[in-house]
Amino acid sequence: MAMNPGSKPVLQHSTATAGGMAEAHPAPPSGLLRWLLTTNHKEIGSLYLIFSLVMFFIGGIFAMVVRAELFQPGLQLVQPEFFNQMTTMHGLIMVFAAVMPAFTGLANWMIPLQIGAPDMALPRLNNFSFWLLPVAFTLLLSTLFMPGGGPNFGWTFYAPLSTTYGPPSTTFFILSLHIAGISSILGAINIIATILNMRAPGMRMMDMPLFVWTWLITSFLLIAVMPVLAGVITMMLMDINFGTSFFDAAGGGDPVLFQHLFWFFGHPEVYIMILPAFGIVSAIIPTFARKRLFGYASMVYATAAIAILSFLVWAHHMFVVGLPLVAELFFMYCTMLIAVPTGVKVFNWITTLFRGSISFEPPMLFALAFVVLFTIGGFSGLMLAIAPADFQYHDTYFVVAHFHYVLVPGAVFAIMAGVYYWLPKWTGHYPNERLAQWHFWLSVVGVNLTFFPMHFAGLAGMPRRIPDYALQFADFNLVSSLGAFLFGASQLLFVAVVVLCVRGGRRAPAQAWDYAEDLEWSVPSPAPLHTFDTPPTFERPAH
Amino acid sequence: MWGVIKSVLAAFFGVQKEGQRRQDFEQGRPVPFLVAGVLMALVLVGLVALVAVLASR
Amino acid sequence: MRTLLVLLAGGGLLAGSLQTALANGWNMPVGVTELSGEIYSLHMIIFWICVAIGVVVFGVMFYSLFRFRRSKGAKAANFHENTLVEVIWTAIPLLILVGMAVPATATLKKMYDASDADLDVMIIGQQWRWRYDYLGEGVAMTSNLATPRTQIRGDEPIDASANYLLEVDEPLVLPVGQKVRFLFTSDDVIHSWWVPELAIKQDTVPGFINENWVRIDEPGIYRGQCAELCGVDHAFMPIVVRAVEEEEFEAWLASRREAAEEEAMGIDREWQMSELMERGEQVYGSVCVSCHQQEGTGNPPAFPALAGNEQLLSDADWHTSTVINGVSGAAMPAFRNTLNPVEIAAVVTYTRNAWGNDTGDSVQPSEVAERLSD
Repeated sequence: MAMNPGSKPVLQHSTATAGGMAEAHPAPPSGLLRWLLTTNHKEIGSLYLIFSLVMFFIGGIFAMVVRAELFQPGLQLVQPEFFNQMTTMHGLIMVFAAVMPAFTGLANWMIPLQIGAPDMALPRLNNFSFWLLPVAFTLLLSTLFMPGGGPNFGWTFYAPLSTTYGPPSTTFFILSLHIAGISSILGAINIIATILNMRAPGMRMMDMPLFVWTWLITSFLLIAVMPVLAGVITMMLMDINFGTSFFDAAGGGDPVLFQHLFWFFGHPEVYIMILPAFGIVSAIIPTFARKRLFGYASMVYATAAIAILSFLVWAHHMFVVGLPLVAELFFMYCTMLIAVPTGVKVFNWITTLFRGSISFEPPMLFALAFVVLFTIGGFSGLMLAIAPADFQYHDTYFVVAHFHYVLVPGAVFAIMAGVYYWLPKWTGHYPNERLAQWHFWLSVVGVNLTFFPMHFAGLAGMPRRIPDYALQFADFNLVSSLGAFLFGASQLLFVAVVVLCVRGGRRAPAQAWDYAEDLEWSVPSPAPLHTFDTPPTFERPAH
Repeated sequence: MWGVIKSVLAAFFGVQKEGQRRQDFEQGRPVPFLVAGVLMALVLVGLVALVAVLASR
Repeated sequence: MRTLLVLLAGGGLLAGSLQTALANGWNMPVGVTELSGEIYSLHMIIFWICVAIGVVVFGVMFYSLFRFRRSKGAKAANFHENTLVEVIWTAIPLLILVGMAVPATATLKKMYDASDADLDVMIIGQQWRWRYDYLGEGVAMTSNLATPRTQIRGDEPIDASANYLLEVDEPLVLPVGQKVRFLFTSDDVIHSWWVPELAIKQDTVPGFINENWVRIDEPGIYRGQCAELCGVDHAFMPIVVRAVEEEEFEAWLASRREAAEEEAMGIDREWQMSELMERGEQVYGSVCVSCHQQEGTGNPPAFPALAGNEQLLSDADWHTSTVINGVSGAAMPAFRNTLNPVEIAAVVTYTRNAWGNDTGDSVQPSEVAERLSD
């Protein structure tokens, strides 16, 4: 801590106050009940993270089925009907059950620690938010075993394919999304209440770590758009079961209305999955470059700008649906604008690296890969923003490549970076460095082998969501499938690292990374069940 | 008033001098900034829409 | 500094090899219309802009990672903001984007100008085929996948010389040099009609009509696929466009009109059972097979079996009217506008007598015509 004088907050509280006063808390119930009834932010955070890891593997298995079928031309393993269920379930599970809960888990664990709060503002609500999730996704997964099969209309569930032409299980799918949506909204309310009310004395908004900032903004996005999702699926429910015609042209409805509503939710949703990732990376890069984050204020502004603009770009998902010219132009311009704050973020990270003192621990490796590969996803996003060219890109593997670049080596890598970064705080042990490096390099190779050839397949003319393809796409798909198997298998290493780290390993001190700045590093490692019973006093760094 | 608008413009552009930001946060009240921010977001939408309408002619 | 140069050179090398790769069928086709060429150049401009930004950004990044390693004893500097630099790197992307928006807007405006067309073609998406109607010409047809299902299922090897999954029974024939306006709609779910060489991708939305247009410069065969997930056989409704010289097109159109008139005359005569069965098998193979399957086994619950179907066997009237009017709220479409009376009579007769459905009865085109005029 002493090696960087004058550039970091001075923490005026001792580990004794942080870990002490355990006797003031009643003993938790034992066994399963403890986890069912817990209101502790750390335990709930762990539950979220474990749930999301399990779902990551379930969604991953679906992806493996898809890639295995696409390994070569012709139908070998599954029928188109089941293939469509696999692509749909893969998308739904990864978005709603893996990436979002992982970020919520990290928020639960880290936001109270980073702002010096003893827990989340609404602990019982927190427990409820979590336990809604297993209910929602058990219901969703159970549709696979129902007559007619599970959802088979893509994770975007466009009407009327999902209404008039949907399988009988669609109603269960709607209920499960409703439950997951309620969970997200409650979680977001909790996070906002915590951040606005429970910061340590002396910590103002512009002193908060960026992970806290990005989650605050993400929470507002969640509260704004989750009700829109709830609305649109309720309209579907009415169309399917109660004879309305919101999306049925035969009854005077409009299928395109569905897409407007869905993407008004869907585009901010994309940023819900990436803004917290920005926060994690903004914590890790300064730590391992041993230099303060460049442009903290512009990072905050950029996050807010991205959040506002994310409400103005939804129809760029609909360029070929038959919008009027003015609408195409408006959404093209807004989409191009959003590249500016995103670019600012990347420039800030890189300038933070410039003239730093850089080392390459596992969290840093993942954060650096995030910067490079997310930027590649950003480039293809910029290309997709050009409306005339989007007439060629839309609904092809180019799009599949684009959003997997921002979501896998983007969001998922950031989550893994965060896990490696905070594991010492959670478990008191450093993750096994050798294994983590293997995990990193295999993941990087796997992810690029999987998704890079998809750019070419899409440009060459391969539509998305097809179980079988023309022969000229065979080579691209072969490479993608091999890459996917490699990436999928190497995630087992991740589980191994986490399990080993929980069970033992090199001991970590409170300040597990020598330059790490934020309040979480002032409590012991592993963090005791109750921290900050007495609020710490926060002081801004002196300039 | 002008100072508030200038600060919000700087926030929209994403770049602000550290000193000015510090001063805004220490001396300003938040409400004028919030109101100006919302209004100027609407102005931004209007401007882009206007450009789109003009370009489509 | 030398490291930076090395990195830049490496970036240049990478860009060079990318260029070669992109020239060899890994890239968006330039296409055969003026607009497809413009779209291709927009695509390449924005691509090279991204490459240039990437080389600079990643260049600085990897230079920093290499140069400022702690293991090499790098000491961290202590700067964390610089207003001038931040203004510059916000303003430059803004200017680049404005520069990009100008040509993109121009191209988009041309794409949206479908006025003064020489020919109108209605394109109707159906699960899982395309229907083409040359408006005002009295010619319409349905275009189905021609690749045998046995190859898709792997019962026989894929024929590498045919265009696997990109072959249809009836290509859309278009004249070169003429402005053709397309009107898009759908009978069931949303599909998307996409031919990369023509740079046209447009959703077909049930109940709504979209438009787009094309003026093809070169005769040839251009292939594409449905681009919007539309159900089980989304992968199996390709598009083939055959662009021919204007005279050839007119001749083709005339022969089609003649054939349609000839078949219309056949409505009034009595058809033999064997004739109906033969024609019915054809129709079944192109229109019904994707849902109800080769052996009439269907794919319940969405697509009921026809072989041994009690209701079908006992009620010929219901059977015919189901084909004509479809089943509302289910996947079965109405064929009253897509099949002519001969085809409907033939396919009903065929399904009443195939795969052990030995009812022995037949439906005559004249009966169907009467019901259609009701």
